[in-house]
Amino acid sequence: MGRYVVRRLLQMIPVFVGATLLIFLMVNVMGDPIAGLCGERQCDPATAARLEREFGLDEPVWQQYLTYMGNVFTGDFGTAFNGQEVTELMSTAFPVTIRLTLIAILFEIVIGVALGVVTGLRRGRPVDTGVLLITLVVISVPTFVTGLLLQLLLGVKWGWIRPSVSSEATFDELVLPGLVLASVSLAYVTRLTRTSIAENRRSDYVRTAVAKGLPRHRVVVRHLLRNSLIPVVTFIGADIGFLMGGAIVTERIFNIHGVGYQLYQGILRQNTQTVVGFVTVLVLVFLVANLVVDLLYAVLDPRIRYA
Amino acid sequence: MLLEVRDLHVEFHTRDGVAQAVNGVSYGVEAGETLAVLGESGSGKSVTAQAVMGILDMPPGRITGGEVVFRGRDLLRLKEDERRRIRGAEMAMIFQDALSSLNPVLSVGDQLGEMFTVHRGMSRKDARAKAVELMDRVRIPAARERVRQYPHQFSGGMRQRIMIAMALALEPALIIADEPTTALDVTVQAQVMELLAELQREYRMGLILITHDLGVVADVADRIAVMYAGRIVESAPVHDIYKAPAHPYTRGLLDSIPRLDQKGRELYAIKGLPPNLMHIPPGCAFHPRCPLARDVCRTHEPPLYEVSGTRGSACHFWTECLNG
Repeated sequence: MGRYVVRRLLQMIPVFVGATLLIFLMVNVMGDPIAGLCGERQCDPATAARLEREFGLDEPVWQQYLTYMGNVFTGDFGTAFNGQEVTELMSTAFPVTIRLTLIAILFEIVIGVALGVVTGLRRGRPVDTGVLLITLVVISVPTFVTGLLLQLLLGVKWGWIRPSVSSEATFDELVLPGLVLASVSLAYVTRLTRTSIAENRRSDYVRTAVAKGLPRHRVVVRHLLRNSLIPVVTFIGADIGFLMGGAIVTERIFNIHGVGYQLYQGILRQNTQTVVGFVTVLVLVFLVANLVVDLLYAVLDPRIRYA
Repeated sequence: MLLEVRDLHVEFHTRDGVAQAVNGVSYGVEAGETLAVLGESGSGKSVTAQAVMGILDMPPGRITGGEVVFRGRDLLRLKEDERRRIRGAEMAMIFQDALSSLNPVLSVGDQLGEMFTVHRGMSRKDARAKAVELMDRVRIPAARERVRQYPHQFSGGMRQRIMIAMALALEPALIIADEPTTALDVTVQAQVMELLAELQREYRMGLILITHDLGVVADVADRIAVMYAGRIVESAPVHDIYKAPAHPYTRGLLDSIPRLDQKGRELYAIKGLPPNLMHIPPGCAFHPRCPLARDVCRTHEPPLYEVSGTRGSACHFWTECLNG
């Protein structure tokens, strides 16, 4: 197990380098980083040259990349062109997005798994058909539609919640945005759990559990659910990365100043340092989430042992 | 009588129609007695056992008639919660394929201990100690260390021993073993069967042994019930049946056993196929495959004729069959 973890950690290095290099190159190709600095006007050539020298932009790209990575590992993600440290942006943006992601994951696990169990056990009945239909709708409708609709109904029309989130972005403010962010994944978790439960329900070990005279809830939770959750855990684990980076739409709708918002602003203003910095961290989040999922496999299914 | 099944009927409702899986089965088991239930796949032997245990999938299954009297109570009239308390504690079941019948993600100690925590309210620690004791009981070496292991870490024979230990845990009065040795290597089959028979004698349990292996039956069974198309066609003490079967189907089964003195000759097989349970032939269900069949067999279903005080045969011509 220990050796497996070490091997996996080592495998992360090339993935990390490759992914960050790709972003670095793409952002460089994207446009002239100096252009954003002089506002609407074109910079005059002398100022542009001075700025390029100051930021090291006259060096070759690979040199720039190495310098950047070197700085990243000392905790320096550089400075945005407006003079704000990127790490400072991160320290305000990431806690908000982590809170949002936590709420979304919680929704996925609690509601998604519960609905999956209920429908899996009652396959073909009205509850099952109804829930299945709803999940189909949720999956088909884009998040910005669901988000705006809920914001309009709950926030503006009925006034149950504040339509936009304050700069503190506390947990209770993030409940609705969290639900919106989770919605599509939640529908997938429901379907995944449902299929898995329905498949394992007729298995021999469930019949054994019944023959042992165990109460129904114990048969379902301890024997059936434990086995059915393996594919669901994989999905949720991989989803953590997506939720953290992919909250751009949700964060825009509810005016949440999280990672998605900062990334969006960074791309809009051609703020190279911000974009590369945030994406670098997101790559790390993805890698770690994937490792945790693989390790969870072994916990959930003892037949999988890593040598 | 420890268990008495009376005139049990079970149907399965499927998309293609209604399958008549069990059609009026009656049998009984005394404490300490072994009843072997013989028959081909689809003869209803497992379905009857599942109805007795109360683990039949309903739907699609449906019990349409009969009684299952266990220690004086008709189980079919009990509430589900009362039945659950009997399952595992007073009657237990051993399944054919131990690998798929044990939960792959729980340690064998957890699965054995569960019997004690759920039915007896023991602490997890005491239950674990009991699990080790049980594994010792079924002669699994190094039980103390292996109690933490998972089913896939055991060999086929050891896994079936764990199934036996689990069934035995609460010392039930009745054990139903559904082809307990079919999935095992021949060399291991005898060991597992011996162990089961020995523990049965020790605890004086009733044992229903469902099998299609006539070799196993001869060694351990007291009585035999032969099933065909959801009915019992012959029921008799084991020696009587081996001496002279009173039903042509039983005769066919016995003749199908390969024998050394017939080496080189073609093996005997009962001609034809088992009936489709959605369209069981009228009259005697066996008549399309029966060498003795006459007109009456096509129109009249034979009752279970009394051959002797302890023996019955559902054949119009049982005397003919018995004599040869």
